Amino acid sequence: MIQTPLLEVKNLYAGVPEKEILKDLSLCINKGEVHALMGPNGAGKSTLSYVLAGKPDYTVTKGSIFFKGKDFLPLKPDERAHLGLFLSMQSPVAIAGVSCSNFLKHAVNAKRKAQNLPELDAAEFLKLLREKAKELNISGDMLKREMNVGFSGGEKKRLEALQMSLLQPDLAILDETDSGLDVDAVRIVAESVNRLRAQDTSLLIITHHIKLLTYLQPDVVHVYNDGHILCSGDMALAQEIENHGYTQFTEAK
Amino acid sequence: MDLLQQNVNLWGDDIPWLAGLREKGRLAFQKTGWPTAKTESWKYSFFKQSELEDFVIRTEPCHNECHGECSCHLSHNLPFEVIEIPFCGGQPDTDHVGLPEGLTVKPLVEAVYDKEAQKYLNKSYDAENFPFAALNTAYLEQGLFIIVERNTRVTKPLLLSYHTHNAQNNWMNIHNIIVLESGAQLTLLEDFQGKDCHYFNNIVNEIFIGGSARLNHYKRVAEAQTAFHIALNSVIVRQKGCYNAFCAQSECRLARNESLILLQQEEASANLNGAYRLYKDGHSDITANIRHLAEKTLSDQFVKGVLDGRSKGVFQGQIHIAPQAQKTEGYQLHRALLLSDDAEVDCKPELEIFADDVKCSHGAASGDLDKEQLFYMQTRGISRDDAKQILIEAYLNESLITVCDEQIRQWLAQVL
Repeated sequence: MIQTPLLEVKNLYAGVPEKEILKDLSLCINKGEVHALMGPNGAGKSTLSYVLAGKPDYTVTKGSIFFKGKDFLPLKPDERAHLGLFLSMQSPVAIAGVSCSNFLKHAVNAKRKAQNLPELDAAEFLKLLREKAKELNISGDMLKREMNVGFSGGEKKRLEALQMSLLQPDLAILDETDSGLDVDAVRIVAESVNRLRAQDTSLLIITHHIKLLTYLQPDVVHVYNDGHILCSGDMALAQEIENHGYTQFTEAK
Repeated sequence: MDLLQQNVNLWGDDIPWLAGLREKGRLAFQKTGWPTAKTESWKYSFFKQSELEDFVIRTEPCHNECHGECSCHLSHNLPFEVIEIPFCGGQPDTDHVGLPEGLTVKPLVEAVYDKEAQKYLNKSYDAENFPFAALNTAYLEQGLFIIVERNTRVTKPLLLSYHTHNAQNNWMNIHNIIVLESGAQLTLLEDFQGKDCHYFNNIVNEIFIGGSARLNHYKRVAEAQTAFHIALNSVIVRQKGCYNAFCAQSECRLARNESLILLQQEEASANLNGAYRLYKDGHSDITANIRHLAEKTLSDQFVKGVLDGRSKGVFQGQIHIAPQAQKTEGYQLHRALLLSDDAEVDCKPELEIFADDVKCSHGAASGDLDKEQLFYMQTRGISRDDAKQILIEAYLNESLITVCDEQIRQWLAQVL
């Protein structure tokens, strides 16, 4: 029996009204796989993550996205999240007036509602939250603060990792999760990602550094530029980029 | 309807002083006339008198058997203890209330008979500047006389609940006198609710805050959709006294909360915060005139609004700083969220500063919900509608948070 891919992107073209950014992009991720997408600045890496998450600013003009065999394109971002997609953003948005714990409770219960599970009450949620926060070294004080307001780069990324571990996605896209993190923070985030991986969560890691990848040991490494994948390989490919840069790929094209 | 030719039997017309005061109210209204687009303080909120066709001035309770005991008037479900005075069709019922020592609450006319109200009535403002307050005086009858004795701290909030039902085409005038003697403290809650009818609530509160006294005045306005609510809070604050107010307004034909604040002596202060939430075609007006008349006085205003549909919000804030009021601080901020293209906000800040050693600021801003925030929340599985609701609550919460008591804060938030 042939396994249905978790995510299957075929010949995708997408962009903003004045500009096509994704050009003939194809990508297939199976359950439990870890993919790394590496590419220079301005290659359109974040656009790919936004298009997958369904950001309204971008329009898909051609091609298809299937997730768990379902056509993803007509779905709203929250519906995509309910199906099991998680996007950890490069620059998580600050939301004044909403505490982290309140926000997380809304998110967890929205997903439970979509899955026809009973919503967690305050006490049940707090128990779950404390347990997950502890793994990421997140204090109760931090959870009382407003969402990402005045957070350092490291605090923001740890909060993203906390959301991921609470929401238990099937596919997590980590967009430059390692940017702005010190060595210890990268390790903490990598550990939390590895915990998810142990539960068969698939990952798409968007980065231009090798550091996070050495912790996460991806199954597949893609070199990406100008809106599509130039070539794919294993960790050795990432090492080659680290040693020699992107130009050999972008110029060879 | 001719507002001055109504055939109303008013209690207390046998007291020459009171009859004279009512006559003064008539004359003042004759002078001011009905506010129009040309009336400076009403230019964003004026409305045609013809909207009040067939209105009658009401002085009787809404139904005879109702003396504050009917269930619709009592707020049984509050999570905190209060001393509640219900108003039935504009008439307060003080007969069934147990009051703590040092707090007096009685019907206004009774206080006039007892010669207690004379030194306060119409003493805090000039009726010729306030057409509706002038009318209120012309038909002065209903209202309360509240006095908190020197150094008395009333621990339970005093709740005045004005619940209006069965009052089609009624015009109700209510005039309260609230006196805090020096060192006294009171939390006053006003709760306006109504449904299914077209009526006009015309409220005047004259508030006298003695030295080092503090009044927390929290008000929520959830009148019927087609109702009018016009209130004047005229406040005099003496040395080191504090008037701390929050007004939460929801949708109705017109809700106007106007404050005239005289910071009369040194270190007197006033906080006038508020929030309003409009959905369809309601009109919410928050107007303040703060007069700093002595040194080291402080005023702070923070109002937030959320408007949808074809609703309209008005914020007018005048800060006047007299030449002698050095080392004074006056701050004012209004922010609004416009959820539709047809919603409108009119903002008129006015600073009149005649002293040189002062700190003053005013600001106004309006905008839409942040798209990036909405998208971020959606990627976490929160639906767009829920995300909007969370963001709106957070937005209004920025001003609500100025109310220290969490239970009262929630009570206010219920109408938003």
